[in-house]
Amino acid sequence: MGYQWNWSIFGSTVPTGETTYLAWLLSGLQTTVLLSLSAWLVALALGCLVGVLRTVPGKALSGLAATYVEVFRNIPLLVQLFSWYFVLPEILPFGLGDAFKQQLSPLTQQFLAAMLCLAFFTSARVAEQVRAGINALPRGQKAAGLALGFTLPQTYRHVLLPMAFRLIVPPLTSEFLNIFKNSAVCSTIGLLELAAQGRQLVDYTAQPYESFIAVTLLYLVINVVVMGLMRIVEARTRVPGYLGGK
Amino acid sequence: MISIQNVSKHYGAFQVLTDCSTEVKKGEVIVVCGPSGSGKSTLIKCVNGLEPFQSGTITVDGISVGDPKTDLPRLRSRVGMVFQHFELFPHMSITDNLTIAQIKVLGRGRDAATDKGLKLLDRVGLKAHADKFPGQLSGGQQQRVAIARALAMDPICMLFDEPTSALDPEMINEVLDVMVELAQEGMTMMCVTHEMGFAKKVANRILFMDKGQIVEDDAKDAFFGNPRSERARQFLAKILTH
Repeated sequence: MGYQWNWSIFGSTVPTGETTYLAWLLSGLQTTVLLSLSAWLVALALGCLVGVLRTVPGKALSGLAATYVEVFRNIPLLVQLFSWYFVLPEILPFGLGDAFKQQLSPLTQQFLAAMLCLAFFTSARVAEQVRAGINALPRGQKAAGLALGFTLPQTYRHVLLPMAFRLIVPPLTSEFLNIFKNSAVCSTIGLLELAAQGRQLVDYTAQPYESFIAVTLLYLVINVVVMGLMRIVEARTRVPGYLGGK
Repeated sequence: MISIQNVSKHYGAFQVLTDCSTEVKKGEVIVVCGPSGSGKSTLIKCVNGLEPFQSGTITVDGISVGDPKTDLPRLRSRVGMVFQHFELFPHMSITDNLTIAQIKVLGRGRDAATDKGLKLLDRVGLKAHADKFPGQLSGGQQQRVAIARALAMDPICMLFDEPTSALDPEMINEVLDVMVELAQEGMTMMCVTHEMGFAKKVANRILFMDKGQIVEDDAKDAFFGNPRSERARQFLAKILTH
């Protein structure tokens, strides 16, 4: 097809001269990893809280948690991202919106909006898995915790959550992988993460195949590392005599 | 020790317990029996507040279970409970199962709790299994650990909810032996069970329940010798023929 392969492109300097195309890609990789990891931590904490609230007695709390899940799960990720970045700063009260727009650098604005968007979107999904994990436990476990004199929070902390989290490690792995893949959407608000750097490379070098292959490989590396990590977590927390344990 | 007065409970329109009343004195062993769905388990779970009830009162050691001001966790920590499906915590070793509530609820030190737990584990004949996990023990062994776990809290009375009905026939006796020993030592016990041999051996009184009501509340000999109600006679005829 007459395409001129040129793998050495990654070593060439960018037009502004201060660095190489490879460095662009790696800085995109760094942004993607930082963004996704921080969003994942927030998503885990929020998702755990909301998932627990969905299982507690009392309609008000579980109703509130259910609404949270439906809102963040059912609105498309891209719409949520635009809402966080373009809409929310306009409607925030007490001058918070203006502070966001005037006092933070554009890069920080993009990163913050993207991080919160990914975190809330993912937290709704994590919450559903936490709920499923808790509900999958035998009903008597909660009764046994309470009967020993544990308060309800203690029962969750010592009895229900440790087993629920073990049950949901495999679906949580999927969510962990998804958050890295979903982070590519954040290039739409100008955040220079991995996918955005890839596209920039195409624009500057006219070597689309090399660029996209490199980007693909880098996403693949991230996911292999994540899967490896989660396997270790699964093996470390395996319960002897239970669920595939020895 | 346990006083149940006119307790009624319903799930929506379905009446589970109707006007149940009985007393369990200190040191007494009460066996609760009756056909499935008669409300035995529900009644015993009302005693430590695991199941709420709409009317009547239950007091344990003078403390009202249904009173919203009652510190239920504290009361429950003084009432041991053993479940049909053992309900050991699968992610903890046997030792941790025995000590966690002592440490987190009673505030005992780890060493004191471990001492106590291992002593009780030895008592139910399972000292060698201290470092195993529940999933590595047989059903009968798990249930004995569950009894030891409840005893570790120094309970003032023990509730047993069908402790042998999920066990293989071979394992029933090892659990009953522990329960008999406990009864003979003077533990106050309320046991939902169909083990009539156990009832004959150690029970002071038998409660027979049917359709959410306490139909008979008799001394053991009266119950087995000459039950007053037709329903109890039918029940005994069915379970004692084999």
